Amino acid sequence: MWFTLDNLATAHDTHEGAAHSSTGLSNVKLGMWLFLGTECLLFGGLISTYMLYRGRVGTGPRPSQVFDIPFTSVSSFVLLMSSLTMVLAVSAAHKRDDRSTNLWLVITALLGTTFVGGQVYEFTAFYNEGMGFSTSLFSSSFFVLTGFHGVHVTVGIIMLLALRGMLKNNKVPGSRSETVEMIGLYWHFVDIVWIIIFTLIYLIPA
Amino acid sequence: MAIIERPVSLEVQPLIVVAPATPSSAMGAVKRPVVTKGWRQWVFTVDHKKLGLMYMATAMFFFLVGGIEAVLIRLQLALPDGKILNADLYNQMFTMHATTMVFLFVMPMAAGFANYFIPLQIGARDVAFPRINAFGFWALLFGGLFINLSWFLGGAADGGWFMYAPNSGPIFSPSHGVDFWTFGLQIAGIASLTGAINLIVTVLNMRAPGMKLMRMPIFTWMILVVQFLLAFAVPVITVALFLLSFQRNFGATFFDVAAGADPLLWQHLFWIFGHPEVYILILPSFGIISEVLPVFSRKPLFGYPFVVFSGAAIGFVGWGVWAHHMFASGLGPVSVAVFSISTMAIAVPTGVKIVNWTLTLWGGKLWFTTAMKFSIGLIVLFTIGGLSGVTHAVAPSDTQQTDTYYIVAHFHYVLFGGAVLGLFSGFYYWWPKMFGKMLNEKLGTWNFWFMVVGMNLTFGPMHILGLQGQPRRMYQWTENRAGEGFFNLGFWNLIASIGSLVLVVGVFLFLVNIYITARNGKVAPLDPWGARSLEWMTSNPPKEHNFDSIPTVHHLDEFFHRKYAEDANGQMQQVATAEQVLKQLEDNADAHIHMPSPSYWPIILAFGLPVTCLGLIYSIPLAIFGGLIILMGTFGWALEPSTAPDSDFDPPSSGDTSKDVVHVG
Amino acid sequence: MNHIESTSDAVPQVHMLGRVMRRLKPMVLGAAGTVFLASCASNAPQDTWVPKGPNAQKIDSLQKPVFAVAGIIGVIVAVVVTYSVIKFRDRGQPIPKQSHGNPALEITLTIIPALILAVVGVFTFRTVFDLNKTSDTQMIINVTGQQWWWEYDYPANNEYGITQPIITSGQLVIPVGTKVMLRQTSRDVIHSYWIPALNGKRDAVPGRITINRLEADEPGIYAGQCTEFCGLSHANMRMEAVALSKEDFAKWVSNQLKTYAAPAENTLAKEGETVFLNQCTRCHQVNGLTRADGTPVIAAPDENVWSGAAPNLSHLMSRNTFAGAMFNLVTPECRTDVWKSESLTFGAKYLAGVDEPCLNQTDLRGWLRNAPAMKPMYANPALLAATGGKYRGMPNLGLSESDIEKLVAYLLTLK
Repeated sequence: MWFTLDNLATAHDTHEGAAHSSTGLSNVKLGMWLFLGTECLLFGGLISTYMLYRGRVGTGPRPSQVFDIPFTSVSSFVLLMSSLTMVLAVSAAHKRDDRSTNLWLVITALLGTTFVGGQVYEFTAFYNEGMGFSTSLFSSSFFVLTGFHGVHVTVGIIMLLALRGMLKNNKVPGSRSETVEMIGLYWHFVDIVWIIIFTLIYLIPA
Repeated sequence: MAIIERPVSLEVQPLIVVAPATPSSAMGAVKRPVVTKGWRQWVFTVDHKKLGLMYMATAMFFFLVGGIEAVLIRLQLALPDGKILNADLYNQMFTMHATTMVFLFVMPMAAGFANYFIPLQIGARDVAFPRINAFGFWALLFGGLFINLSWFLGGAADGGWFMYAPNSGPIFSPSHGVDFWTFGLQIAGIASLTGAINLIVTVLNMRAPGMKLMRMPIFTWMILVVQFLLAFAVPVITVALFLLSFQRNFGATFFDVAAGADPLLWQHLFWIFGHPEVYILILPSFGIISEVLPVFSRKPLFGYPFVVFSGAAIGFVGWGVWAHHMFASGLGPVSVAVFSISTMAIAVPTGVKIVNWTLTLWGGKLWFTTAMKFSIGLIVLFTIGGLSGVTHAVAPSDTQQTDTYYIVAHFHYVLFGGAVLGLFSGFYYWWPKMFGKMLNEKLGTWNFWFMVVGMNLTFGPMHILGLQGQPRRMYQWTENRAGEGFFNLGFWNLIASIGSLVLVVGVFLFLVNIYITARNGKVAPLDPWGARSLEWMTSNPPKEHNFDSIPTVHHLDEFFHRKYAEDANGQMQQVATAEQVLKQLEDNADAHIHMPSPSYWPIILAFGLPVTCLGLIYSIPLAIFGGLIILMGTFGWALEPSTAPDSDFDPPSSGDTSKDVVHVG
Repeated sequence: MNHIESTSDAVPQVHMLGRVMRRLKPMVLGAAGTVFLASCASNAPQDTWVPKGPNAQKIDSLQKPVFAVAGIIGVIVAVVVTYSVIKFRDRGQPIPKQSHGNPALEITLTIIPALILAVVGVFTFRTVFDLNKTSDTQMIINVTGQQWWWEYDYPANNEYGITQPIITSGQLVIPVGTKVMLRQTSRDVIHSYWIPALNGKRDAVPGRITINRLEADEPGIYAGQCTEFCGLSHANMRMEAVALSKEDFAKWVSNQLKTYAAPAENTLAKEGETVFLNQCTRCHQVNGLTRADGTPVIAAPDENVWSGAAPNLSHLMSRNTFAGAMFNLVTPECRTDVWKSESLTFGAKYLAGVDEPCLNQTDLRGWLRNAPAMKPMYANPALLAATGGKYRGMPNLGLSESDIEKLVAYLLTLK
């Protein structure tokens, strides 16, 4: 959780530093890149745990028994599309086109929500099929990994919607386009992580 | 913090600082804090110097807490079958001693120094994200208090600071101690992570004009390496702590062997974090003494680029040695051999540093101030710790030494002889900079000798104890296994315990010194040591905005080169006094400097964290309440610009165009 | 110690010097003193510098030179620092030239330690693989750790006359000059098996089997201790490895395989057997013990103890220790007699076992009276929610003094 809180703060802090930076990158941008670097290690740890425990199903269901790969593929596609709309939002923001920025932000948030909704549906289905959080090592590490990712997407959605509200009421502190870009960076990162997770969990059999 | 208004015209005396004005309105949900006096100036501050001091004060408090724990441990072990603590309490004591000293003393103390001096050393007016900085401090403080809260709520964590699974699981550690420990470290981890990102951005982005990377003071370099280590190590322990929490509080089985789990997963995750952590603890002190030794040797650090690169090399290789903590855990011979070799490899850059410090002394003009004594003490004592480290880099020999007192001796020579002596060197060196008063040098000398003698008496005999086969983490030792000769455990345990009391006197003398200095210490001259780096190119203590004008850097050791130049015979001659150098900066003072403004949100946001965690342990509604605090803090924060806009300042900056305004942040 | 004194004599007495030497004294003691340490005979039983078997010997021959080199380097650094501190102190000399270093010197001083370490590395590499060799194993013993004692399980092995598995605890008995492989695991948390005189330590990890190797050159008792923190009584989880000559080992085996001999009727010991049946057999197995109706008694520690095991007490009096080797089963005089005996007479003394005059009545009775008071354990019935009511350790059985009297008499018959 707290990574994302920090992230929101990062994205909004001291925009002015940009002008004199020694690296040429603005402070927020550099900060965001570093933050995403730390996130790599976080997901790295979670993915390693999952890879270690993926085969340890105990008496619970095996991955192949519960996974619905076509369904998850569709929701993955939806998330990938949201990266595209995020790019459009950023480019609109750079063009100072507030209307389009708003529109693309909302669409991105909607696509993200669809993905999270899909995940909630998926989790419920797994639970009904007898795979709860503490059923087996596989299930615990699956839920922790995908759950962490889901929380990241959710926080991203909140940031997108909050950003849209602030744009509308002209309450964005600092450079608008850069703020949109920051949240875009985060969003793309979360998407890329999902591609890795999706490949490792769903596509490569245990 | 404030807007600083100065007369633009140079005819007016530039030394007069016009009283700072603070913003009187705010864009956020509530008005910004405006009071600049009393407790509010500390609680809502975003000033890196105030936060640095608060970090240090907090760390000092926890140093005393950890010290009391250490003394209780030594009293218990002074005689066979000690009865002062029972087994349960003893296990809590050594767990919390290590946790406190590592996470709540050395790390925050280094963070305090970094916060205070990094912006000053690179010629910046604050860190990149001042509010995140404030948030980090509060998270650290609340995290530390949260861990220690467990003492009063059924007992502290009792699994050792390494908290090996499955002994840390709900069955083997049924009290809430481990829960407090996990959540508390999680909170303190946030502080480390935000601090790391903040300082890296600050160092990379906010250096004064002309300060190339290879002109950065070595302390700044070492802190930079440390922050990179933190940024990548902390997430790993975060994962481990999450897994442990999920097991203890939500029914997962990550370390439950009966469910098929592998207890070595914890060890790998912990030590992938834990070994870089060792360098996180020691490198700041390496940085400090690399500042102190040149100043009091009157010559530059020998082989600056070697010291920089060896620091960076330690940072890299430090990631490839974690399994040397697991030589006895039954890894295959290939892993053991490889990690054994990589561990020896890391001794090389460490040796480079020792060589360079020694050669810095060589040919110098040595001035034995207390700071210098602590630094020289570090060279010798750390070398002992480093060499004993090499003896257990040899994996087979480590299987005899690991988990014995020999290891305790080793890492106390590294961490006390290294990290702590370095930090004390920093206190004596930078005290005049921070408080404008000189710590008493005579008392400082006593402080030094008591600490050095005490530390050798305490930890020196532990080499013997360990080689004589006394394991660590034993609440009692027995005469049956003590032996009779010169090396009998009884005698050396007693000596170690007496030594710890000598150490206590040493630390006490430091506190006395602080007290005496605060009451009637000598006012510090502008440049008491003949220093070399930028942090001394401002008043003591520094002004709120650090520098009147940002100096342009032409040399490594810029300040020295502004004061001294080579004459025709190649002799260094003083060409300017510190006062003159400072005057020059003042003459070019920036007219208007907008400092980041104080904020309520960092402390509010940070306060939400322990509330949430307490809720996760005891009651979910409380956790939800904590979550709401966090949410509120986040939104208040997001809506508030970090530096109040010009129109917010009262009196407004009349008549000036915004072009003259220098923004900081 | 001589070393230190001669150093301080050799250097002229400058004012600074006294201080410097005071600082250096512990340093020299720590570094060069290690050499001194080696030469000095000492008798702490877990001394890591006195190898008594080839595995420990290999470690020792590797580590002693490393200690020596480390000590020498330490002394060199200390001497150079001391010399600089004296020689270059501020005597009013001009400010030195602002030299930034000497790359050639730097590189040399980087390469030298790297080379030294490379040499150490090569030897380390060889020793690591050497110590991990298992192909020449002659005997296997399964070692299982649990809070806070070790169980030794000797699988059937015709070569050593072990016709059926032997399960024992407290003391690991091995034949001299035999390459013994310990297959280690744990029933609860991680423990670590360590007999310093015979080999380095190796963790016993639940869910895994780790391999450890022991070989003793001479008959004798070698002390050890659990070295992975394993909870409340970690400090009290000790072990003793007993090496016997091959003939004596055969005698030990045949004693362990001896069938159960019930105490004679109408003796105190017989009454003790009844107490034992009622109180102790819930957890403790004595092989061959039968109930009054002739049915064999099978202990069920898994129903009462979290780890699912309690020490097997068959032939208890053939051991010198009890309660995880925390207490001696023999009085201090008898213990000294066994520990200090020559290796020729050792076997016979050890095999004699414990008889009444040698029995450590104080500790044994104390243990039977209230075990948790003598060794910290999780044995308070009110505080066992986390383990579903199962104990970790032995609870207080609330035995009467007469029951204890009878039990002691009975236990003495378990030769």
